[in-house]
Amino acid sequence: MNLVTIKSTRSNLLISTLLASLLGLLSLQSAAFDLKGALKDAVEKELAPKPESTQANANKDGNTTTNQPAFNWKNPSKEEEIALGREIAGNLLGAAPLVKDAALQKYVNSVGRWVASQSERPDLPWRFGVIESDDLNAFAAPGGYIMLTKGLYRKLSNEAQLAGVLGHEIAHIVEKHQLRVLQKQQLLNIGAGFLSDKYAKDNQLVSKAIGSGAEISARSLDKTAEYEADRLGLSYATRAGYEPYGLADVLQTIGQTNKEDNSIALLFKTHPHPDERLAALSDAAGIRLDAVKEGKTLENRFYQLKK
Amino acid sequence: MKPKFLTLKQIFITACCISILYAPLSAIAETGSALKNDNLRAEPYADAKLAGDLSRGESLEIIKKQGAWLQVKTKKNTGWVRLLSVKRGAASSSNQTSGALAVASGRAGTGQVVSTTGVRGLSEQELKAAKFNEAEIKTLESYTLSAEQGKQFAKAGNLETINFANLTSSESTAK
Ligand SMILES: [Zn+2]
Repeated sequence: MNLVTIKSTRSNLLISTLLASLLGLLSLQSAAFDLKGALKDAVEKELAPKPESTQANANKDGNTTTNQPAFNWKNPSKEEEIALGREIAGNLLGAAPLVKDAALQKYVNSVGRWVASQSERPDLPWRFGVIESDDLNAFAAPGGYIMLTKGLYRKLSNEAQLAGVLGHEIAHIVEKHQLRVLQKQQLLNIGAGFLSDKYAKDNQLVSKAIGSGAEISARSLDKTAEYEADRLGLSYATRAGYEPYGLADVLQTIGQTNKEDNSIALLFKTHPHPDERLAALSDAAGIRLDAVKEGKTLENRFYQLKK
Repeated sequence: MKPKFLTLKQIFITACCISILYAPLSAIAETGSALKNDNLRAEPYADAKLAGDLSRGESLEIIKKQGAWLQVKTKKNTGWVRLLSVKRGAASSSNQTSGALAVASGRAGTGQVVSTTGVRGLSEQELKAAKFNEAEIKTLESYTLSAEQGKQFAKAGNLETINFANLTSSESTAK
């Protein structure tokens, strides 16, 4: 349910990353005032086939990964999208590792893969994981990486609910919600000229991109993106043969969690309140679900967590 | 006997508190509220005859569930309404009540306790401090299934795809 953009501290770019972050914020603020046009021009200019910097880098360094072309922020390929998501997901796993239960992970991948096959991007290498955290949350990163917390999994009682939660995250990836936020940020940074030098000195383009996107860590998407993900998530799970109310069930449960509880703090910060989401989903569904009669909940095969 | 007496007394006091807090609500049925303006029906079908209406935010009692319909009781009427028209639990406007209930049940503030006892969390701070974990991401990727494997799993659960166009926001205005 989140955009997670995690500061990559593994490179030795910490300082430059911080600098880039600060500058990134500046550039955003500038854009909010009167420099918008100028920045746009700068973006165009930077994106024009050029920079001596990038090319010089490739020639000079000549080490292992220099054959990697510069990350195309304007129009990333599927491979670039996956590489970016891998970096974000790897960082998230650094904060909370996978639950060491292969049967659980296999089960979640089975449900997720089947739901993703009903989406508009069945061809991505979809992968799903349950992570060690008592928080209630789920995360999507570009290119098909989806994780949910053990705390959230524990709140589920059937497969249709799991399908609904995963459907919401799948929708974020299908609609490239997070990717677009990162793209916008990077293009502004590049356009403002703040990042081009740094880019020239590092061939780990992707990890750098995440690093410099760190100032928006755990950032919210706009509300319309969340409502859209709810509508699509419900639709995918329904097409997959599940009872359509799984996601709504989970929203009902989350809505009754004490707001003061830290386990839900980040979810509440990054998403509209579950009551609002339920109301929006209800409005969007109208009478459409009347025709869905045979949906399954499959609580009998829902994988039970080991204690 | 004495400890037992104390226990009973505690239970009694707790019960009193809870019943006072619940006083305006029914102690038996699950409560809820209307998520939108909607019609109540005499039976759980879209074309059943009208049995009243609901207005957004109105509190109600949930009597039972049948398929995608809930039988609910409002101040004025009893009837059936679509599942998605109802939010379960106390009406969201009564923040004070839910706060008091949380105190009574000892749930208030547990989040604070959790956060200071070293239980893993995913706060913004922790996310920012996270380091890339190559081994874990490889493990995650090792679970990747093919579309065909997903299909087999669905088949094992007798899941069958249906035609259902994506919900859109434009339907929201048509009631
Ligand atoms: Zn979301």
